[in-house]
Amino acid sequence: MKTITANRLIDGEVVFWRNGAWVEQFAKAELFYDSAALDAAVAAGKAQPTVVVEVYPIDVTEQDGVTVPVSYRERLRALGPTNEPTHGKQAQGGPEIAALINAVGSGHTSGRIDLLRKN
Amino acid sequence: MYRYDDIDREMLADRAHEFRGQVGRRLSGEITEDQFKPLRLMNGLYLQLHAYMLRVSIPYGSLSPVQMRALADVSRKYDKGYGHFTTRTNIQFHWIKLGDTPDILDDLAKVGLHAIQTSGNCIRNITADPYGGATAEEADDPRVWSEILRQWSTFHPEFSFLPRKFKFAVTASAKDRTAAKVHDIGLAIRRNRDGELGFEVMVGGGMGRTPHIGATIREHLPTHHLLSYMEAILRVYNRHGRRDNMYKARIKILVAALGIDEFCRQVDEEWAKIDVKSIDLPDIELARIRAAFTPLKFETLPPRSDAYEAARESNPAFARFVRNNVRAHKQPGYAIVEISLKAPGATPGDANAEQMELIADLGERYSLGDIRVTHAQNLVLPHVKLDDLATVHAALATAGLATPNIDLVTDIIACPGLDYCALANARAISVATNIGERFADPDKAELVGELKIKISGCINACGHHHVGHIGILGVDKKGEEFYQLTLGGSGAEDASLGEMLGPALSYDRVAGAVETLVDTYLSVREGDERFLDTFRRVGVAPFKEAVYADPH
Repeated sequence: MKTITANRLIDGEVVFWRNGAWVEQFAKAELFYDSAALDAAVAAGKAQPTVVVEVYPIDVTEQDGVTVPVSYRERLRALGPTNEPTHGKQAQGGPEIAALINAVGSGHTSGRIDLLRKN
Repeated sequence: MYRYDDIDREMLADRAHEFRGQVGRRLSGEITEDQFKPLRLMNGLYLQLHAYMLRVSIPYGSLSPVQMRALADVSRKYDKGYGHFTTRTNIQFHWIKLGDTPDILDDLAKVGLHAIQTSGNCIRNITADPYGGATAEEADDPRVWSEILRQWSTFHPEFSFLPRKFKFAVTASAKDRTAAKVHDIGLAIRRNRDGELGFEVMVGGGMGRTPHIGATIREHLPTHHLLSYMEAILRVYNRHGRRDNMYKARIKILVAALGIDEFCRQVDEEWAKIDVKSIDLPDIELARIRAAFTPLKFETLPPRSDAYEAARESNPAFARFVRNNVRAHKQPGYAIVEISLKAPGATPGDANAEQMELIADLGERYSLGDIRVTHAQNLVLPHVKLDDLATVHAALATAGLATPNIDLVTDIIACPGLDYCALANARAISVATNIGERFADPDKAELVGELKIKISGCINACGHHHVGHIGILGVDKKGEEFYQLTLGGSGAEDASLGEMLGPALSYDRVAGAVETLVDTYLSVREGDERFLDTFRRVGVAPFKEAVYADPH
């Protein structure tokens, strides 16, 4: 199971793909179970270069009935920095944010790997 | 302080205007991200995890109160009300919007600030001893030579696209507060036996993936040849530095590959070809730049202040602050005051807008308009009268800025790590605050004495972990945060690289392991040995045994 993330060009905000547009909350991200549909959506996202940058798919999983990113780095992107709990998306609170904070497990993300390759 | 002239100011305004056009073209789609990225990086603008990050240059860590207030304004107007001082003595803002950046550069330019030389494969911001012009230890004021290097290197047409970034540090005291030996070029200003000023030139130091201690390429370079000799080094590096592999592109790799003798020979050969008169600074220009730094209007004061002695006697908190944060000044009746940005629970190097404004006010009123940034992510009021010390301490305390821990176990360097940085493997900030909690008792921290812990969230080593007495490196184990500990590093005049302790530890084990290391040190230390001295005497074995004896 995957979803697609990026940073919004104008302000760098972390965003997630949803039906051809971008949303700020991970909980609203569109889920992909099929690689062809995922590839098409990634291509469509990358075709919006004046809207977003750094478009890439991430692995997600279900924990206690809630979808969360597999990678800790991606959970952190979906929440905000741990040293400033009032900064970033985590400041909004609510059960979806709590689920991300409480999620466990780990895995690599193509976001960092691609960044290192490009550099 | 050096003040920018009309040409400098015009250049900064032009630069901001140029970037406004570049941002406009990127937003309209006229240029691609691949075309834009090098342009934004040349203006210090990185894309990080949650937003853009703008790194603002603070040449040789020197700020005026007006500039400090401008940084506070930027943090409040365009960020979340704080900034992060870095190991390059720059400041970073972590919540910047691309669309705001041209306005920010305009605001900065108005007070002589900018983001030039904070990114890209150029000569980066020059760092220098934060006690420059204040300590009696120095052979000369390192800011004078740092400013000369800044003027020479800014937009240098030959050295704007080097194989990789290039970092200078300039010190002039026997005690090195710049980590000069782990810079691409470290310069130590000394007088020779004839009393002539010159530079010990160290080259090929660095951290990152392949750490090296710099080797001395010249014991005593006459100061008037500084620029031509630097030009020769940079030319050799520019010609032979590897551009095919970014991990092998720093000058340290070239120096190691050629050997210091051959590298030195090539530099001398290149230097001989240079028309030094066309490059070396004319005396009149040196005098102009030097005049910008001297003389300060020090009052003639007795070396002893009754008010200061009385406050120290009656106020234990002030006495502790003096023991740890106040250093001797060259001028009788004055002192150097270090302001720790490492309060318990605080992010190392962070200062909020109110704190920056308070420091600006104190700098203006009590430190002859002079503020410094240290590579240890702290600030300095370099010229405070002993008579005013208690007042300054009380003012700092009201803003959470009187933490008495300079060079102690809680004065931890930490990069932003995975909380902000796109390159990081693991968090660094919370590791620092977790360790800080274990040593929250200031008596315990003083009992431990000098202990420099440095934490990096990845191998790029922005947190200088290789030269920490205890170094902590975040690594990625199948996506989980683990930490590799090293012992016995030093970035000071006795520079050394840390030795690996053993297998990496999980996030939850790091603070406990540091406490175990400190307990082990206290159990075996002799006399007034520092942690580093004890480690060098007994080696890694007792520390390793103590940390890994407990599998949990």
